[in-house]
Amino acid sequence: MIKLEGLGKTFGSYAAVTDLNLEVRPGEIFGFLGPNGAGKTTTVKMMTGLLKPTTGRVLVGGRDMTLDPIAAKLAMGLVPDEPFVYPKLTGAEYLRFVGELYGVRLEDMRKRVPELLDMFELTPWGGELLESYSHGMRQKLVLAGILLHEPKILVLDEPMVGLDPKSGRLVKDIFLKLAERGTAIFMCTHVLEIAEKLCHRIGIMIGGKMIACGTLSELHAQSKKEGKDLESIFLSLTGGAEYATLLKHL
Amino acid sequence: MLGTLLRRRGRTFTNTIRHWTPYEWVRNAAFGSAGFGLLFGLHYGFYRLLKYLATVELIGLLLTWKLTAMLLLMTLSMVVVSSLLTALTTLFYSYDLKFLMKAPVSLRAVFLDKSLESAFFASWMIGLILIPYVAAIMRVQHLGPGYFAAFLFALPPFLLLAASFGIGFTLLLLYLFPSSRTRDVVWVFSSLSLTVTYGLVRFAQPEKLIRPDALKVVAEYLSFLQAPTAPYLPSWWLAEALRMAAEGAWRGYAVRAIGLWAAAFAVYGLLVALAGKVYFIGYSGAQEGALRKRTHAFAALPEGALLGARSAAALFWKERTTFFRDVKHWSQILLIIGLVFVYLFSIQRLPLDSAELKSLVSFLNVGTAGFVLAALGLRFTFPAISLEGKSWWVLRSAPIDVGLIMREKLLFSAVPILTIAATLALMTNWILAADRFTSWLSFGALLTVGAAICVMGVGFGALFPNFSVENIHQIESSVGGFVYMAACLFYVGFTIAVLAAPMQMHFAERFGTGVWDPRVALWSGAGWLVLNAVAMIVPWRLGRRALENHE
Repeated sequence: MIKLEGLGKTFGSYAAVTDLNLEVRPGEIFGFLGPNGAGKTTTVKMMTGLLKPTTGRVLVGGRDMTLDPIAAKLAMGLVPDEPFVYPKLTGAEYLRFVGELYGVRLEDMRKRVPELLDMFELTPWGGELLESYSHGMRQKLVLAGILLHEPKILVLDEPMVGLDPKSGRLVKDIFLKLAERGTAIFMCTHVLEIAEKLCHRIGIMIGGKMIACGTLSELHAQSKKEGKDLESIFLSLTGGAEYATLLKHL
Repeated sequence: MLGTLLRRRGRTFTNTIRHWTPYEWVRNAAFGSAGFGLLFGLHYGFYRLLKYLATVELIGLLLTWKLTAMLLLMTLSMVVVSSLLTALTTLFYSYDLKFLMKAPVSLRAVFLDKSLESAFFASWMIGLILIPYVAAIMRVQHLGPGYFAAFLFALPPFLLLAASFGIGFTLLLLYLFPSSRTRDVVWVFSSLSLTVTYGLVRFAQPEKLIRPDALKVVAEYLSFLQAPTAPYLPSWWLAEALRMAAEGAWRGYAVRAIGLWAAAFAVYGLLVALAGKVYFIGYSGAQEGALRKRTHAFAALPEGALLGARSAAALFWKERTTFFRDVKHWSQILLIIGLVFVYLFSIQRLPLDSAELKSLVSFLNVGTAGFVLAALGLRFTFPAISLEGKSWWVLRSAPIDVGLIMREKLLFSAVPILTIAATLALMTNWILAADRFTSWLSFGALLTVGAAICVMGVGFGALFPNFSVENIHQIESSVGGFVYMAACLFYVGFTIAVLAAPMQMHFAERFGTGVWDPRVALWSGAGWLVLNAVAMIVPWRLGRRALENHE
């Protein structure tokens, strides 16, 4: 469904992402982990057409993001790390705008927009300008926006940030249901518990390179660590296990 | 603490330059050179004017200093208006305020930091224009570098005093009315004040400088020239300081320059003292959004009938909805209407005696109205791409082409700018009763100028996008804004130059001193086509490529 082939990005002499190869299949939830500055957001930006790769390519449903960006983007929905939206549009208008850009039929929008606002408990705010929305409300609205056009691929950069526990649970359930229906989901997150519970496979990136990729048990085998939880595996693979030495600076 | 805050600005600036890529060095050097070219062009124009004034017997120097006082009064009013527009966003809505307000930094230090930033953005470009003027005075009057140093010493307090008006007004207004509605009042007030200052400049009767016959007797004219121009304003103090420095009266200069600094310190001291008491109340109120429910009927977009493609219609709908909901734009629309009226009023007041002279002015109107359109382009068209701001990801990740976004921005800005261009051309030709040839030529030329200014505005806006600015003035006063304005002014100048040949032949035919030469007309037409093709195609293509590759 989504395929990264030798993907790389350099900024001047700095290599943010190097030779990234990856495939996320239909119905799969792929968790993308890594410490800050590992290159996760850069990867997301290249996958969604916000950045041009220096090397390699991104294939979305067989379409090259660089050569055929419109067809590739049509099949994809993005939740960025910071959900900035037009402050002078209302929630309902934002969804209408997104629906128009992605070619959602007007009759479908009439039905789906109130449903989505209701699902994310935004109905009382649907007519308010987005400048009065909190971070969490904007995050939910952006999620509603991608659900409106029912993409085959979801790319999510920290989708749980700012959500209250109830909304967080709702969003997790939505992702599981979408995956059951065949949607491919690529998700960057720092919340290891979410990755552990939701993701079928997990990739760990550090210094712009994918250092480990596989199911939880495969990662466990790679990490050579006794602990079986993802946190132990992650810290082992990223060198974070020596954090005790860092604490001496406290 | 203020030192720490100011050092971070210095560090940000040097870090930005240190991280320029070779491409950015070349690009900025090329456009910086274009900017210097523009300043040099201005200097040359000022020099010719001042040299001409200096040749006027007896009153040459009086004319020079009267003109200087008027120019400084105009500068003062422009900085005042600009500060009104920048102070609100800089003092109350800057991104870093959340960090600064929760840091153990005194409110007064934060206020000083933000107000100096506001004063800088409100005044640097307007202040820069004074340099070629003062350099022209130095050339004409053979003054040494000491004179320039004297000007540089007296300029900052003058600009600070001008900017303090907008800053003080905004500070008090948000304190007295700490609700979101305050923003609306600020913008409406700023538009009114612009109209008033514009009117004040108009009432200064600059035309009397070149029309002594407008005043009944010589004595009256001389007393007009000698009378102070708004003596209670800092512009007059600076004008006097410059005059005295030129005459070698350094003691008089020092009194005025130190007076300017003392006044700036006094006004800023007052503002800082006031900020300690009122700044936080205004800041707190500014965080509260206005709640007003709107219902959206999911009806077909009216733009759809004209634009066809749904995404194009949606982009236009989004543009107009967000534009008209921002009250800042209402006041600007009012200002533009005022500007058009004052412009046409000034045309009507021109002392033109013959039909030929009227036709000539009608043709030259392409240049002056072109400058007005360029200023509007800088305000509305050039920032259009950057104003997508941090919501840019919505469009960039959507299945639409960058070209479509640029075309929609062009369409949204072309409608009003072409309307204004047509109004200025048609009304001017009607007021001046220009002959048919001139009327058609100037009408067609001005419409093309309007179109090219819009295309260049979107093109340069895409070439220099900045999605993280806090207010529109940072976009206008950026390197890109300067380059765009320079490109527009060169384009308008070349348009006049290229079309001068058919106008000359037309007049020659009217006066019976020559006939039409089809070859000259053909060359002129071809030159005009090439000029417009270059002006429209090059910035558009460069901008599109830059926006597609923007990182």
